Amino acid sequence: MTLLAPALLDNLSIVIAVVTETGEVEYKNRLFDATFGPEAEQWIARAARTNVSGERGWLMPFFADPEMHDPVEAEFQDRTYSIQRLDVPFDTPQVALTFEDVTRQREMEQAKSDFTSMIVHDLRGPLSGIQGTLDFVLSSEDARIDPMHEELLLEASHESERMMGLINELLDFSKIESGNFEVENDPVYLAGILRRSVKSLQTVASRDNVHLLTGHGSDLPTIHGSAEKLTQAIINLVSNSVKFTPQNGLIVVGGRVDRNADGEDEIVVTVTDTGVGMTPEDLERIFQKYKQSKSKSIRGGSGTGLGLYIVKQIIEAHGGSVTVSSVHEVGTSMVLTLPIRRAA
Amino acid sequence: MTEAQSVGTERGRPGLPQLVAQRIKADGKWATLVWLHQQQRAQPGDVALRGYVEILRVTIVRDFLALATGMEAIPKLTADFLNDFNKFDLTAQEGYLISQIDGRTNIEKLLKVSPFDPFSTLFSLARMNNMRAIEISE
Repeated sequence: MTLLAPALLDNLSIVIAVVTETGEVEYKNRLFDATFGPEAEQWIARAARTNVSGERGWLMPFFADPEMHDPVEAEFQDRTYSIQRLDVPFDTPQVALTFEDVTRQREMEQAKSDFTSMIVHDLRGPLSGIQGTLDFVLSSEDARIDPMHEELLLEASHESERMMGLINELLDFSKIESGNFEVENDPVYLAGILRRSVKSLQTVASRDNVHLLTGHGSDLPTIHGSAEKLTQAIINLVSNSVKFTPQNGLIVVGGRVDRNADGEDEIVVTVTDTGVGMTPEDLERIFQKYKQSKSKSIRGGSGTGLGLYIVKQIIEAHGGSVTVSSVHEVGTSMVLTLPIRRAA
Repeated sequence: MTEAQSVGTERGRPGLPQLVAQRIKADGKWATLVWLHQQQRAQPGDVALRGYVEILRVTIVRDFLALATGMEAIPKLTADFLNDFNKFDLTAQEGYLISQIDGRTNIEKLLKVSPFDPFSTLFSLARMNNMRAIEISE
């Protein structure tokens, strides 16, 4: 406490408290009492314990990991607080914490997410109708369409498919942002997913004179998760590779069981291309939302900048990780790791 | 500090992509691949290194396919291989594949008869071509 100047802290507009490992409040500034009232000390004492349902109190991670500087969020009296460590050294197990009321911020984010979700749902309906109509006309044997109009209809069909892809990305994004993004725990045969993903994009790749190959055996073990979401992630990565790979290039979807740094077996899936590659700046930001590679797509067309962000969320929801390796003007490899979990 | 030790995690080595690019330019793709394998042995479980290895393997196969007429190209055994096949250090997979090379079967057909996945079959062919055990003709 001697390192803190209480008089100065009392005049700050930040709520600060120094708390012990057992949840006792050793120090609080004036704003702490003004914000929380007398019940706050009981709230903090509870946060130092594991509750009856086995959930760890929000205070415990600060003592479990002295290097933890990420904020935690906790509810108190119907408000949400972001609680963060202050770098103050103590001789005894104590931690100095700041409390920021983020209730309004979270409400705004929720409202934005709900609005996006609603708009996206409303857009999907009519677009499905347009797609269905175009597919019907194009597949109808009786339709007398001259080649020029057929080409225009095909173009409209491709563009509506692309728009549906963008809308689906926005829908996934709004689910992620609202915390409603969950994956199932079904048995998933990954080799089948990789093979089907390659097959579904084979026509697009061939049209652009790009070789698309599988590079895995059929003996990949079954994992647990969502086949639909994993397929979405692989297709997203492969179609991204198609966009950035020039003619006569090669894209390979590989998979094998490998041992990680902790000595545990995991499945490593790679989507590797001989595309334009990424700059070091791209590598830093490629998984951030709304960020796209500065390298120009060979095939043109732009996306939402959410594709790789969503891929990362999907893989992380399966307990895995995504790493990108890229050499500018040589190629790029997306390396996904997925833990092999046994069925319960 | 050895070169292998100097390669840290992806976040701590912004220079690795440039280092790989420089090595490709200076020593070629095969030598760079060997160097990356050495790095991998020094740091097993490094996921980013795995990615760089894959980039090299895939570009090597792309170059191999560009040699002649892509999948229609016909691999043939070289005179060097026929004279003294013992001097070629082939893997079991390569040994099987070379037994299928008859001077008439093109790459596309080899992929169909190969029990291995298409990419590793092509990589084996590219490696055998690089060591001059086979050659490609149209």
